Order: sequence, then structure tokens, then C-alpha cells
Amino acid sequence: MLTEGRLSRIVSVLSPLFLLGLWETLARLNYLDVRLFSCPSRILGALFPLLWSGELLHHTLISLARIILGFFAGALPGVILGLSMGLFPMVRAMLEPMILATFPIPKLAIMPLILLVFGLGETSKVFTIAIGVFYLVLINTMTGVINIEPIYLDVAKNYWARRFDFYLTVAWPGALPMIFAGFRLGMGTALLLIVAAELSAARAGIGYMIWRAYDMFDIERMFVALMTMSLLGYVLAKGLDWLEARVIPWKQPSR
Amino acid sequence: MRAEKITVQDVGKSYNTRHGPVMALDGITFSVAEGEFLCILGPSGCGKTTLLRILAGLEKEFSGWVEVRAAGSQKPINAMVFQENSVFPWMTVFDNVAYGLRMRRVPRELQRTVVQRYLELTGLAAFSRNYPHQLSGGMRQRVSVARAFANDPEILLLDEPFGALDEQNRLLLQQELLRIWELDRKTAVFITHSIDEAIGLGDRILVMTARPGRIKAILPIDLPRPRELVQIKGQPAFVALYQNIWKLLSEEVLRAREKEILPLALAEPGTKDDLYEKTISRG
Repeated sequence: MLTEGRLSRIVSVLSPLFLLGLWETLARLNYLDVRLFSCPSRILGALFPLLWSGELLHHTLISLARIILGFFAGALPGVILGLSMGLFPMVRAMLEPMILATFPIPKLAIMPLILLVFGLGETSKVFTIAIGVFYLVLINTMTGVINIEPIYLDVAKNYWARRFDFYLTVAWPGALPMIFAGFRLGMGTALLLIVAAELSAARAGIGYMIWRAYDMFDIERMFVALMTMSLLGYVLAKGLDWLEARVIPWKQPSR
Repeated sequence: MRAEKITVQDVGKSYNTRHGPVMALDGITFSVAEGEFLCILGPSGCGKTTLLRILAGLEKEFSGWVEVRAAGSQKPINAMVFQENSVFPWMTVFDNVAYGLRMRRVPRELQRTVVQRYLELTGLAAFSRNYPHQLSGGMRQRVSVARAFANDPEILLLDEPFGALDEQNRLLLQQELLRIWELDRKTAVFITHSIDEAIGLGDRILVMTARPGRIKAILPIDLPRPRELVQIKGQPAFVALYQNIWKLLSEEVLRAREKEILPLALAEPGTKDDLYEKTISRG
């Protein structure tokens, strides 16, 4: 018997397979220009050598290292400042205007400045990602703290919590769900920025692979790199899910 | 005559609103004896929660004078059982109950002993590692009660702790509260808008007026302890008290309803009678 749930699972497996088949067929029948759009069989053909030689892994690990480093460099100050701004109105009054004024500047627009300041090395790439992550985590953390039910602060006060206790027993755990929402947004931005950061003066990385494939007009290589990006994004998002389930065991399963 | 534990002298509180200051409390004077269970009963919006927050030290701006006589020990002055959902969702039942002790840096061994005792008294022992969202509303309020008792305060303050529960659960929790309270008869102030609850739990009932909250009457309850809540409801003394209090309260509820129309009369031109019509036709 096919229940509705099983049917929908089968459909969601079949529909991408169908699209891949359609792509391949159209390419074989010359309705699609394989020089521009390639086709699944050619991409697979390009994938295996890149896998066996370790080249793909090399580029992936380099990008991954930049993303993770940049993510931490942005998220850590974002959380600490966000908690302080959420808890103390004075800190918020002091920093919020600057944050709100600089937040809308597209991070790509300051990349040239970052390159001038930090040079062409690793620092500029990590910094670009960090700054993108920083704002999103900061704003989410602050909002998370501000939206904590005031009754929890009353309880803490009534039970003699000290200032440090407010951070540890109310602000941090209370804002954690929002902080993780910030992490997710930040991770999305990090993936976006890594490609841009590796456009300029990079010697390796998935973004470098994409731009290099563009220079060489090697469409198959480009598609392999794009697939890797997609996989990387998926794995990192799943990693955050896993971490969230560990760190927030009190969160009611909503999905 | 027992020693006075809490003295409240001429306490008043007003808020500033757009239409000028509004009196929430006015001329509140009463005292609670050591070991007494006082229930404060009043129509909603009469400022009874404000009064309790003043007693708890959470509300610092008020006129008058409040004193809680401490026995001169290391005990905290008060512990409050809040209305629903004051239990930290990010802590296990155990950590919630231990919160006050942890904040006072009580040694861990002692924390564990005390918490275990109150978990058992409230029937929560099996759930000590659970998170609040895994519990029913009644169980969550048990956590809140256990948290207050475990902190071993000079006085207990309870702000309509069972108001959001269904009737069966409310009765169960009231009975359990009485049972635990009987163990050491800590001075307690309990806020409620349920007449049943006030008579069942209290040694005395303080009836408040509609805004501004004043004291309308203080009634002693001469029902013997320990009490079986279901049994006392049929007794003549209970019924007489109930009717007496209902008379006092219904006057206030009616007065409060009239008052709700008054601010409109101030805000809009027109006589009060016009507004009556508007209110009626709208309702």
C-alpha cells in the first residue's frame, strides 16, 4: 500500500532523477549546447579524475578551513557583543547606531579595502567571511536577548542572581535559539563570500576552481565545483543542526 | 499573639500614563504574623500583583514602608512562585529547583539533598532530568513551587500560581501545597482571584477594592488545620464565608466595570450617559 507520505518521498527522489535524465537526453539530441550546459555523463567523467587525484579534496579542504576560521572569527565577537547589547541598554545605546549604519554596506563592496589593508594572503579572505558572519550573529543574538520573557529576569533577580549569572543562566541559554538562527544565516553568507574572496589572488579553493574553469572554459570542471559547493553547504547546515540539537536539548522538535 | 513577620504600612503606588498619574495602590496597611498564611483576594487589575512585587523587592518605587523581620540567619528574605511559565525552559527540573541554592553558592552536596527532598515532596523525583516542555502545566507549577520551598526563604510569596490550571489540577496542587506548607508553616502571602482558593488555603483573607487598590476587609478563616479541601467546601462556615466574600467582591467588580468606561469619558467629549449607550451598543 502506498500511503501519502511514502508516495511523496518516492516523488521527491524521482523528480531530480527525471530532470537529470531530461538534461542528458536533450544534450544527446543536440537541443542543448553541451559546450555551455554540459551534461550529466560528461560531468561525471570529469568528476572521477578530480576525485582520484585528490585535487578536489585539496580545494575543498582549503575552502572549508577558510569558512570555518572566518565563521569563528566573526561569530565569537558577534555573540559576546550581542549578549552585552541585549542585556545592558547603555551598551546598546553606545554601539547600535554604528552597527546599524554599517550593516547595510554589502560586504563585497568593502573587499577592495580589505585587500588593501590585509594584503592578498589568507587574512583578507578569512576577514571577509568573518565580517559577514559577525553582523548577522550580533544582530540575532541581541534580538534574542531582548526578546527573552521579562519574567525570567524577574526570577533571576528574585533568586539573587549576580551579573555574571545573568549572562550564564538567562541571556545565553535564552537567546541560544536565536543565536543559532544567526549562525545559519551567517553560514549562508560565508558560502557566498568564500567564492568572491577566492576570486582575487587565490591559489586554491573551490571558488578558485570555479574562476579557473571559467578562464579555461572548462565547463565540466565548473559544474563539479558547483556541485561541491552545494554539498559543502548541505554538510555545514547539517553540522549546525547536529550542534544545535546537542547544545539546545530543551528545544521542542518543530521539524 | 504571635510575632509579626511582615509589616506593611501605608503603601501606595502610582503609575504615570499619558492621561496623568494613575493610582494603583493606596493606603495599604496590614501585617502578617509569623507562620500565618494570608490570602489576598481582589478583582483583576486591583494592584494585587503590584503589592506582591513590592513585598518581593522587585518593585522599588512606592510610597510607604514595608518590613520583613528576618530571623537573623543566612536565609533569603523571600522566594516567589510566579504565575505560569516562570520555570526556565533551558534547565532540567533538577536545575530549576536548585536555582536559588545555586545562586546563593550553597555547597553542591547540600543542594542535592535539599532539591531531592522537595522533588520527592512534590512528586517530581522521577522527572528530575526532564526539561519543562516535557511536562504538563500542572507539573511545571510543581517545579515552581519546589524551587521556592527549596530556597528556604523567610517568607513565601505566591502570585496566582494555579490560575492557569484546569480545575482538577488546581485542586490537586492546592492540596499538595497545603501538605508541604504544613511541614514547617512558613509565613506565606498568596494572591488569587478565586474565593474557593482563598478560603481553602488561608488563615486570613485580605479583600481588596477595585483600582485604586485599597483594603476593603480582612476576614479571619476559622477552619481547623490540616484541611481537606474537598470536605471543607460543604461546611456551613465555608458557605457563609463564601457568600460574605462574594458580596464584598461583587460590589468591587461592578465598580471596576463602571471605571472602565470613565477613561473614555475623559478622552472623548460627551457625557457619561452617551458613553454608556456607545458601550452597550458596541458590546
